[in-house]
Amino acid sequence: MSVRRTLAPALLLAVTLVAAGCGTGSADEPAPAAKAATRVFKLPDGEVTIPADPQRVVATGYAVPALIEAGAPLAGISSWKRGLPMMDDKARATYDKLPKVAGETAAETNYEAIANAKPDLIVIGVPKPVLADIDLDRLRSIAPVVTIGPTIPSAWRELSQSQADAAGALEGFDTVKAAYDAKAAELKKKYEKVLPQLKLAHVGSYGQVDKGAFHREFNGSWGTNIANDIGANYYGQVKVKGGGSKDVSEYPSIEELPAALGEADAVTYSVGPDGKPLPAVQYVLDSELWKQLPAVKAGKVFPVRYTEAATYGQALLALDALDQSLAPLAAQ
Amino acid sequence: MISPEISRTLVLVAGLAALAAVAVVSVGIGAHGVAPAEVVRALVAFDGSGDHTIVRDIRLPRAVVGIGVGAALGVAGVLVQTLSRNPLAEPGILGVTAGAGFAMTLGAALGLNVSSSAELVLAGAGAALAAVLVYSVGRTSPLRLVLTGVALSAVLAGISLGLRLMVPDVFDRFRFWSVGSLAGREKDPVLLPLLLIGLAVVAALLLARPLNAVALGENVARTLGANVSRVRLAALACITVLAGAATAVAGPILFVGLMVPLALRPLAKSSVPWLTAYAAVLGPILMLVSDMGSRVLLPTGEVPVAIVTAFFGGPVLIWAVRRYGAGTL
Amino acid sequence: MSALALRAGRRAILVERRTLTASAALLTALAGLALLGLCHGASWATPGEVLAALGGSGDSVVVIRDWRLPRVLAGLIFGLALGVAGAIFQNLTRNPMGSPDVIGLDAGAYTGALVVITVFAGGPLLLAAGSVAGGLAVATAIYLLSSGGGLSGLRLVVIGIAVSAIVTALNSWIVLRAELEVAMAAAGWHAGSLNGVDWADLPVPFVIIGTLLVVMAGSAHAMHQATLGDSVAAATGVGLRRLRLLMVVVGVGCTATVTSVAGPIVFIALAAPQIGRRLAGAAGVPLLPAALTGALLLMGADLAAQLLLAPESLPVGVVTTAIGGCYLIWLLAKEVRRR
Repeated sequence: MSVRRTLAPALLLAVTLVAAGCGTGSADEPAPAAKAATRVFKLPDGEVTIPADPQRVVATGYAVPALIEAGAPLAGISSWKRGLPMMDDKARATYDKLPKVAGETAAETNYEAIANAKPDLIVIGVPKPVLADIDLDRLRSIAPVVTIGPTIPSAWRELSQSQADAAGALEGFDTVKAAYDAKAAELKKKYEKVLPQLKLAHVGSYGQVDKGAFHREFNGSWGTNIANDIGANYYGQVKVKGGGSKDVSEYPSIEELPAALGEADAVTYSVGPDGKPLPAVQYVLDSELWKQLPAVKAGKVFPVRYTEAATYGQALLALDALDQSLAPLAAQ
Repeated sequence: MISPEISRTLVLVAGLAALAAVAVVSVGIGAHGVAPAEVVRALVAFDGSGDHTIVRDIRLPRAVVGIGVGAALGVAGVLVQTLSRNPLAEPGILGVTAGAGFAMTLGAALGLNVSSSAELVLAGAGAALAAVLVYSVGRTSPLRLVLTGVALSAVLAGISLGLRLMVPDVFDRFRFWSVGSLAGREKDPVLLPLLLIGLAVVAALLLARPLNAVALGENVARTLGANVSRVRLAALACITVLAGAATAVAGPILFVGLMVPLALRPLAKSSVPWLTAYAAVLGPILMLVSDMGSRVLLPTGEVPVAIVTAFFGGPVLIWAVRRYGAGTL
Repeated sequence: MSALALRAGRRAILVERRTLTASAALLTALAGLALLGLCHGASWATPGEVLAALGGSGDSVVVIRDWRLPRVLAGLIFGLALGVAGAIFQNLTRNPMGSPDVIGLDAGAYTGALVVITVFAGGPLLLAAGSVAGGLAVATAIYLLSSGGGLSGLRLVVIGIAVSAIVTALNSWIVLRAELEVAMAAAGWHAGSLNGVDWADLPVPFVIIGTLLVVMAGSAHAMHQATLGDSVAAATGVGLRRLRLLMVVVGVGCTATVTSVAGPIVFIALAAPQIGRRLAGAAGVPLLPAALTGALLLMGADLAAQLLLAPESLPVGVVTTAIGGCYLIWLLAKEVRRR
């Protein structure tokens, strides 16, 4: 008993000393984050301790457009050419000004450049398989790392919110999201008499498509998830589920066009930001089989722009474009 | 006893008949099932329905392209193996495939590939330039030719990969183009390449006899009256046109140019004229059969024909080598 | 023919004078490149700072000693390993185009990596393991399929080509079906890169490569005897079967080890022996010039890869292929003109 009584205070003292020692020790570290307040951020596969109010954020991948739009305090970004066509001038100017600390591929992340940017938080927005190319330990030695990457096409909503949250930019994010939600509700009301009843099909073009095939998108895919928000319903399901985006879209041969789209009341198709159909879609539009579709013969075909929207700001543009395109329907 | 000439002619005729049969069958096969009776009706009494459109506007042009590309690769394979005196050579070894791929990548990066015709021109020009470079450095000996071809292919592949890893759109474009396929070519301007292929096959057949002499060795060739360097140059030009046009139209398809000459050797021994003639028939047959496979193997969508030929030709090659020994090559 | 006999006790090696000069020149170049590599980074350091950092003092100790030094050393050792592997395979197959890929190591490694990335979404450790497993699986398959033909036979080459073509087609198919970012990540790995190499990654590979190289050095003379022809070699007392097995083990071991850390950097194994051979003016494919040229090529390419498009860097495999290929073409062109 007496041993425990003498040990306990000694133990308590030792623990206090160690904690104090660790506390003062961290001030001498070369890492730039000093005694900032921290919080615990939840990720799908664990937790990370990140600064409560980051001042210098490095973003890569899909996080780049999301954080630029949310107005996060960025100190460096990876180059992200995929997001350029969808950026407005303000976002593009920000993108151009920020120092590039990584290229398009994760394998060529420039660790020294990232360290030079003295970040206090690193947000990586690439799909999980890509992380194999990154030396996460080395990045963690520079600053806390949060990995939030895309899974299925419509996941950009949660993803961009998560990324903005980590970077402490929720205010800017919430403003844009509120605008989007309002607009979506407005359009849903506007089309509620004509849109939900239609059996819709979508011919898409996310990236390249095999020649001789076409991209059929169902509910929840890139070309359709924003239209889903205003009441559109794309009938059918993929023949063979393949995980990720392959659960909501497939690439049938052009021969299967009549069978695939034959029952559709109306067909929408993806076009570029300038309104011109992408080559894979143009191939379908030029085909004789397309012209024989009942929906096409009835003239119920509608182009959809900004189908690659991955932030709420871009989705707002997509909503406006949808409204323009579907106007003939509402006029009936 | 039938003379070898007549028996070889008979085999050729049989081959042509087989080709015709395979072509008709291939028009009847595809992702969307069409009854054989309908297929025949589509060819002779077209009535504009969906099924008939599929047969006439999609499958028929595809079969024609398949025949052209198959003949081009088969004949180019025979020529390149004869020229490099290497039974394992295939047309891409002279840098043609790498040149076309590099031109495609560069064109995509510079934004030049605005239409199918532009792509065809790019691929063709790239193939031709690569072949010229390889020839100018490696013309003195078959070994140096092969070495230069491999080196140039590697350089172009490296630079092309670097470009692709910097611009995702180019990467995307290239990964689809780089796996050769016959799908979707019915809307492309393939008339000119197919015509070029036809002319080059004829030229190859005319060139076959002098090439036969050259293959026996330089001194023998001169004794037989063949102008060695001119024959080599002409043969290389044929290979470039054939492989370049085939790659421009269908993308890189690796195994056909290797398999066809190897499969024909037992039949034609080392007679280049007969090898060339047979290759112009077996190449298309192989191509069409692979294309049929590419259409039916998956429940949705297709397997590009380059993958089918590799998965089909590879095991056959392995079996042949194990059974008959590498010495028969 | 001028040769030097280097004696160490009872053992003596005969070395061509030109080989020696070439090797010395290559070593000097290597030292220079190493220093340059340590100086270069997002912010250039002076040689003085580099030396201080190596000693453990100065502001950039972490960056120079923990980030750049492993990278430079990896370039050196992996380059040596790949050069030797290439020389071995070119001697084995008696073909100047011989490379470890003739037994499908590169294609197989890519398959392993693709499966890990696309199916398992694995991390770097799993990626390394998968690539080695894939490469060795394909190499074993080729060996088994060509059994009975011997290691230097035409049969091995043909079957190697066939299997590699099948595996490459499979790889293209997987790349085609994957999401774009995943496909690019896999392709980025396949291009080979020394970026992100840490001290933790190096001890095991260095030990393996060191052992293999020492073992090979011991049998180098026997290997050169063997290239004179099987009968000559047998007559001069070279145990051919054991030698060939040893060569394959060393060649495969070196390639697989490098691949597991840096990805496949194939072209060095192909080009370095040929370049080294021409520099040293040797008739066969000697090991030392091949090794040194390999190291030079890899280190130089790594620097170039970082410098060309700073701050974005290219994978080193891209640059080695471009530089190595160009140099090889130039050498070939020079030979033509000389005739």
